[in-house]
Amino acid sequence: MPASGSLALPVCALILAPMLLGIVNRTKAVIAGRRGPPLLQPYWDIAKSLRRGAVYGEVTTWLFRLGPVVGLATLAAALLVTPFGGVRAPVSFSGDPIVLVGLLALGRFATVLAALDTGSSFEGMGASREVHFAALAEPALLLALATLARVTGSFALTPVYQAITIGAWADALPTFALVAMTLLVITLVENTRIPVDDPATHLELTMIHEVMVLDHSGPDLGLIQYAAALKVWIVGALLVGLVTPIRSGSVWLDGAAMLVGMVLLAGVIGMIESAMARYRLAQVPQFIVAAATLSAVAFIIRLI
Amino acid sequence: MYALIETIHAAGLLTCFALLSTSRIGACIRWLSFQGILFGMVPLIIPDDGLTTRTLLMAGGSLVLKGIAFPWILLKLRARANYNREVQPFVSFVMSILCGILILSLSVWLTLQMKPALIHAPFVLLNSSIFLIFVGLFLMISRRNALMQVIGYLVLENGIFVFGVITVVGTPLLVELGVLLDAFVGVFVMGIAIYHITREFGSMDVDRLTELRG
Amino acid sequence: MYAGPSIVAVLVLALAGALSCLVLRRPHHVLMTIVGVSAVELLLALNIWTAALGPKGFVTAADQWFYIDAFSSFHIVVLTLVFVLSSAFASIYFTHEAGAFTVYVARRFGVLWLGAQSAMLLVLVSNNLGIMWVGMEATTLLTAFLISLHPSRLSLEAMWKYLIICSIGIAFAFMGTLLAAASIQSDGGVGADALFWTKLGSAEAHLDPTLMKFAFVFVLVGYGTKAGLAPIHSWLPDAHSQAPAPVSAMFSGFLLNTALYCIMRFVPPVQHALGQDFTSGLLIVFGTVSILVAAGFIVFQRDAKRLLAYHSVEHMGIITLGYALGPLGCFAALFHTLNHSVCKSLAFFAVGRLGQRYGSHEMISIAGALRADRLWGVSLLISLLALIGVAPFSIFMSEYQLLRAAIGAGAWVTLVLFLAASGVVFVSALRHMIDMAFGTASRHDRGGRDGKLAVPIVVAAAGLLVVLGVWMPLPLYDAIASAAAVLAGRP
Repeated sequence: MPASGSLALPVCALILAPMLLGIVNRTKAVIAGRRGPPLLQPYWDIAKSLRRGAVYGEVTTWLFRLGPVVGLATLAAALLVTPFGGVRAPVSFSGDPIVLVGLLALGRFATVLAALDTGSSFEGMGASREVHFAALAEPALLLALATLARVTGSFALTPVYQAITIGAWADALPTFALVAMTLLVITLVENTRIPVDDPATHLELTMIHEVMVLDHSGPDLGLIQYAAALKVWIVGALLVGLVTPIRSGSVWLDGAAMLVGMVLLAGVIGMIESAMARYRLAQVPQFIVAAATLSAVAFIIRLI
Repeated sequence: MYALIETIHAAGLLTCFALLSTSRIGACIRWLSFQGILFGMVPLIIPDDGLTTRTLLMAGGSLVLKGIAFPWILLKLRARANYNREVQPFVSFVMSILCGILILSLSVWLTLQMKPALIHAPFVLLNSSIFLIFVGLFLMISRRNALMQVIGYLVLENGIFVFGVITVVGTPLLVELGVLLDAFVGVFVMGIAIYHITREFGSMDVDRLTELRG
Repeated sequence: MYAGPSIVAVLVLALAGALSCLVLRRPHHVLMTIVGVSAVELLLALNIWTAALGPKGFVTAADQWFYIDAFSSFHIVVLTLVFVLSSAFASIYFTHEAGAFTVYVARRFGVLWLGAQSAMLLVLVSNNLGIMWVGMEATTLLTAFLISLHPSRLSLEAMWKYLIICSIGIAFAFMGTLLAAASIQSDGGVGADALFWTKLGSAEAHLDPTLMKFAFVFVLVGYGTKAGLAPIHSWLPDAHSQAPAPVSAMFSGFLLNTALYCIMRFVPPVQHALGQDFTSGLLIVFGTVSILVAAGFIVFQRDAKRLLAYHSVEHMGIITLGYALGPLGCFAALFHTLNHSVCKSLAFFAVGRLGQRYGSHEMISIAGALRADRLWGVSLLISLLALIGVAPFSIFMSEYQLLRAAIGAGAWVTLVLFLAASGVVFVSALRHMIDMAFGTASRHDRGGRDGKLAVPIVVAAAGLLVVLGVWMPLPLYDAIASAAAVLAGRP
């Protein structure tokens, strides 16, 4: 095995990511008793958006156009440091968890700026909510990654995930379980899924993420949809890498286990979305803080 | 054995955070019951000399009282109230959780201070007991509802129970049973007090009890 | 003679009295019972006292689980004395509440009253710190409903605060007890008598200093809550002002002392492990803060019973301070315990009866008490004068001894603070007192005859205050001196 993985991993991610959204939607449809859209529907949606022309409001500036591009670029960059369970990331260095969280934040910042640039009160409201929740979710993610780093004794994502074996689980069961719960919540929050936000609704009063991107159209919207798929992939990989501790040393076996895990995660998200109702906005911070608490508890337990 | 202790510790901490963040009193009572059962098992797994009548009595007594009897009394009392939510605590739920994390850090620090003197006590359980004590105190001062204050008192009792079990192996059984009996009578008395308060004030909110000052 | 059986007898008698109250048919009979039981208890206590002061220096029963030395026997006597006075007063007080004092209320009162007495006795006689704690917790639970004997909004509020705050305090005290037990543990050698204070205090007990330090802090805060030491006294004024007067008298007169007694039982072991300075320092801080806080609140009081309650905080502070100031200070503190208990009981009796006659405890309402009610007006005057430390009364003597102890110990800062606070208390309480005693009699004056017992109660209590102020009988001096010697670690 090379010290760091090849670029094949991010390329696979770029290709497969929209599929996850397809699985989520299919699961929801099946649970609701419908046949649902085909699994490849997200690809068609993105392709359709990319083919169209864009409409820009008169008051918007270059910030508005920059948003989707930066959003996608940061996530693509984040793919470079994200290991896929036992499969190494192309780039790995001490401190890369902070880079990962920073890249996610930068992408969000660009999206928020673009939303504010429209000057619409709806989008401003969405931006404010997004930032509010992100301010809580980011420390939670950092704490979760820091706890993993603490347990495994290294501060680069690839070695951290290399060290999460079945044996490590047996040693640190409560800690890993708590971190996994945090990561699940963060997956839901970062990707604006139910119970935090409903990606399907278009009621301005209840939306968070969707309301920010209302004004984008054509290729911009396509980029945003693609970025959303990548985000599910990245945050999901952090969670699935933790809960599928199969480290055989073979890239194919580990990768296959992870893929199965990702599909299952998409199914789980679909089931959560079907089973739960969206929280009232006032309850969401509590939900995220509770998640952060889980990893804080995990971290403090490990201090002992 | 250590994994079991660690699991009890982690689950115990989570019950505390659940209590700190839950507004429905029924749910809080169930969490409390779960916590009582969880820590009631501690006497069974701690001592080196295995199961004796003494440990069985202690574990059994605390399981029955804290897992079943107290929750039952509290649920009965809750049924008398018009509403069963802690609507607006003095410290909001999000702040409560953050305070919980602060308390947890404090308890770890205190445990580190005390541990050298208590060589027999397992570190994590010592930590849970101190954490339970402070969370109980926090619940008592940060909640309006009288039942929530009783719940806080019982969390505190749980903490002291665990502390006693892990640090003091030699206290006479008589004393321990006296302690359990005291807790029981305490809950009973508080129950009667709440009964009178609900009848007189039409509510369990203790922030109506503000006429006596200075 | 029969000192050992007497110990068991005081406990059993109080319990039996409590239970018998359950079946009595008339309120009058309940009141008679508590007076009778209390009187017999006093005789038994005196018997135990003489035995404990004998050549052996202690009395023990039940395989050393009960162990009484000069220190505890002194407290037992004060306790039973306060109970006799308060019980007798209760029989007067409740006769005037005939409407509200139904047979059910009477039974409840009788059971809880004697139950509380037996719980406090259990605290004082038991050798085991765990059992002592159980007794202390029992007093909290039993006395809670004495506060709200007549359930009203205010009394329920006071009762709830008392219950919650003291439960927290008691829980802390238990933590301290556990830590004390754990501190022996770390050196091995554990027996059923691990928690006996006779063992903990003896030289052969090897105690871990760190744990004893934690233990004493927990115990001081925990029992200190119950003793009404500032800043954890917040339940005290509420409970004292809302409880019926005899109950307030019992609270102030002895419940607080029981808690202080528990703290002092921990002092010799802690001093063994950590030296003298640690405990003295903490006690001085708590004592001084209590005196200062109480002085601040006394200035602004409107309610007579709350005024007395804050006086209790102040005097608890004084006693605590005394315990911290060496052997002479301990002597002064113990003497002060006796004086304060008697004096505060008398004060609550007077305010209670006057409150009944005026229909209010507001100090504005109780004006011209001397003219309106000769007996209780005079009692109020005497007890308040004694409380603020006016010369011929015994509280002046004990405070004077305390000052000498402070000078002897070189605690100058404490001395200055104490004198300043006493000055404030003196002036403000004197003002309140003059208004109450000499003002123009208010019109809400309801008549009512006091029974045959009223005059003896007042004469006994006031007489004690005056006599002890001018002349200390030698046996009493010896008794207090040997009790103080126990605290200094000399059995």
